[in-house]
Amino acid sequence: MNLLREAEETLCPVNEPNVEVPSGATGHYLLGLIYRYTGRVAAAAEQFTQALTLDPLLWAAYEELCILGVAEDANECFTEATALRLQQEQTSTSNLEKSNFVNENRVLSPNVSASLVDISPKHIKQLPANNTAEVPGYPHLRATALHVQNTVPSNVGQFDSPSPTVTQTSGIVPPPLFRNLHAYQNTTSGDAPAKPKVNAVNQPPRRKYLDEARLKKVTGRLFNPSGDSVPRRSARLSRDTPINSNSNISQFGGNGSDHSSGKLRVNSSTPSKLCSTAIRSVQVRKGKPRATENFDEGSRYEAVDEMWTDNIAATSSSLSIAEGRYFEQDKAERTLSQDSKMATGIKELLGLLRTLGEGYRLSCLFKCQEALEIYRKLPEPQFNTGWVLCQVGKAYFELVDYLEADHFFEFAHRLSPCTLEGMDIYSTVLYHLNEEMRLSYLAQELISVDRLSPQAWCAVGNCFALRKDHETALKNFQRAVQLDSRVAYAHTLCGHEYSALEDYENSVKFYRCALQVDERHYNAWYGLGVVYLRQEKFEFAEHHFRRAFQINPRSSVLMCYLGMALHALKRDEDALEMMEKAIFSDKKNPLPKYQKALILVGLQKYQEALDELERLREIAPHESSMYALMGKIYKQLNILDKAVFCFGVALDLKPPAADLAIIKSAMEKVHLPDELMEDDDL
Amino acid sequence: KSMESDGEEEAAAATPGTAGAAPAAGRLKGCPELSVEGDMREMAKTAAWSVSSCKPGNGVASLRDDSLDTYWQSDGAQPHLVNIQFQKKVQLQLVVLYVDFKLDESYTPSKISIRAGDGFHNLKEIKTVDLLKPVGWVHISLSGTDPRETFIHTFMLQIAVLANHLNGRDTHVRQIKIYGPRPNPVPHQPFHFTSRECIMYSTIR
Repeated sequence: MNLLREAEETLCPVNEPNVEVPSGATGHYLLGLIYRYTGRVAAAAEQFTQALTLDPLLWAAYEELCILGVAEDANECFTEATALRLQQEQTSTSNLEKSNFVNENRVLSPNVSASLVDISPKHIKQLPANNTAEVPGYPHLRATALHVQNTVPSNVGQFDSPSPTVTQTSGIVPPPLFRNLHAYQNTTSGDAPAKPKVNAVNQPPRRKYLDEARLKKVTGRLFNPSGDSVPRRSARLSRDTPINSNSNISQFGGNGSDHSSGKLRVNSSTPSKLCSTAIRSVQVRKGKPRATENFDEGSRYEAVDEMWTDNIAATSSSLSIAEGRYFEQDKAERTLSQDSKMATGIKELLGLLRTLGEGYRLSCLFKCQEALEIYRKLPEPQFNTGWVLCQVGKAYFELVDYLEADHFFEFAHRLSPCTLEGMDIYSTVLYHLNEEMRLSYLAQELISVDRLSPQAWCAVGNCFALRKDHETALKNFQRAVQLDSRVAYAHTLCGHEYSALEDYENSVKFYRCALQVDERHYNAWYGLGVVYLRQEKFEFAEHHFRRAFQINPRSSVLMCYLGMALHALKRDEDALEMMEKAIFSDKKNPLPKYQKALILVGLQKYQEALDELERLREIAPHESSMYALMGKIYKQLNILDKAVFCFGVALDLKPPAADLAIIKSAMEKVHLPDELMEDDDL
Repeated sequence: KSMESDGEEEAAAATPGTAGAAPAAGRLKGCPELSVEGDMREMAKTAAWSVSSCKPGNGVASLRDDSLDTYWQSDGAQPHLVNIQFQKKVQLQLVVLYVDFKLDESYTPSKISIRAGDGFHNLKEIKTVDLLKPVGWVHISLSGTDPRETFIHTFMLQIAVLANHLNGRDTHVRQIKIYGPRPNPVPHQPFHFTSRECIMYSTIR
């Protein structure tokens, strides 16, 4: 509902500045989001840090910090010390009544939805609608989860038992495992904020997004032995847990009939909502039996019940998976103490968080090579998950290595076709690679997954942009903006289209909108630079390119454009230096070589320019513009036969009509003295 | 489709009765569809448009409103002029007008002259065309025969309606579009990239 002010009021009443923010970690997280959306970056960062301190497993908070560019080293955040702390917290929770389980059935659903709702920024809107009383429920979420777990009878220690045993133990969820799942789910779900914690049992039932009927539907679906839910879980699980889930899936699936009400109890009692992953496994609204990687923000309420279903399913399956894992390790060992399992679990969890967190932090800082190295450290099952693959694809994208990016994004998309996060970048990669067919196919797929997601419309828009139909592309990007004005990239793409239509006023407006959403969105800084370059406001251009470059110092294209602005400002030495940097940082990039040659021609250093063009020829042997420039240089050097030859080759390579005219004209005039050449020839 | 696709600019006299055949050279008939090559784009969105005269309610805006239902109606002596002044020197290659003899009859232009120059003081005629009962989009190319003459470089374009069908005094024109080459996606670069390797790296999106 976008009632940010009210939301802020609720969380942090103006008249009581010293009151502790309700809901602890999640409260801080929400407050942080509010500050971020209203442009108070420093305050936002502070809130996120607080949230993370209170709850080190709140991945979403760490993610936000990364996006703001101020995250600490993941090693700092997810340390051994926090591991111990978490452990202590777990063991100190008191036992809950078993009867609470039943309550939880009811309570969970609305809570789940509540917490789920909470997660996505959009859902912040709903917060104000709730009474303040609901918010305080959140801090208890995690505690509740633990409570729930601890209330489980002593069979807990048998979490290493395989799924069949689970039923026997009537749904005891070993806390550590549960924790792990929770954590794993949280981390791998990277994109969606980790909404831990089910509402405390003590919480009054919240908005009942899910009524009892749905609850029944949920359980019905949950126990659908037809394997409908299995693929979801399996896909999610393989993503979540570092074990081979195949055997476990079958275990679980095969147990369909064994799932007793006890199981149901387990499921419902597991505050699985924690899992953004669970959310992840939410099936697409359209009921496609495939695991969804992402929480589809567009499918709020509709999906909530499904998500809840999946959460339950997910959790239980995750549990079984995790269980199966330990089962594999030691079937006979059923008496491991809770504590040590918990410790191991927490350690592993934190280890995973550390890796993913560090990778994410580095890629937000655009230290893409390092980020890639970190991601590669992940074990294969973790690596081959939608989120990680998308991050890897994105890293390659920022490094301007579109072929690799394509490879990874394609893999990610195949693994989890319903993930929408990151697909807008993928569509841009396909745009750069000029893959019209694949791009339109992707766009259609994304639209069929979710018509209300901005990423899908971005992909559609990119399709039209590739075909140079800028007006239609613009309409699609505007639609994306309408659907979610907090996606910076949609604004930027609008800006690009306006720029292509030469409507610079509007393009500047949209680039600025993008920057309001995300100040570190270097594409928008770049876009502004290009506009100013075209408008010949060279100092503005340089300033904006430099900002972009400061944010992403690895992009050779950015370096090149900065050099171009410097050249326009007649700072040719600096310009050449920048071009050298660009050439050095990416040998395959032809643009800086060409631009460097242009600068050298301007400085009348013809031979050096030719040398550079020769080097360019090695990577782009069939480039008309290169031969055209060579022809021009040879003409200047009075090597007329070579000039004519080069112009001829340039013409053969089919330049567009405008260039054709120029080159032909130049060719005719090769034998004429320079004075007769018109200014606008070359 | 080629620029001259509104087809009937045939040099040879066609046999009578042949559908769509032009009776004489250079008589344009108009096309129901606007067909422009992909490497061209509309140039005059930021230009200053003016007309020599108009009837209230049927002014110059009707020429640019993307609606074929609204039209500019002149209100004075011939020739009727549409002036297009650009902010800087531009390359142009195609002018397209929408006219409809069936609806406008004696208001339909029959002879159009296109002039170009730096301003009102030095406009020179670059093309004249005759229209014969045109219905639809009339594509008028500004190019010469040589590839070097594909474009004209000019600050200003003037479209003059010299005569109407059935000797009408005033004229109706429903839409005018001006086309030129697409700008280089890489600013300030003299030549366009043609190869995939270069285009891929040429911009950030």
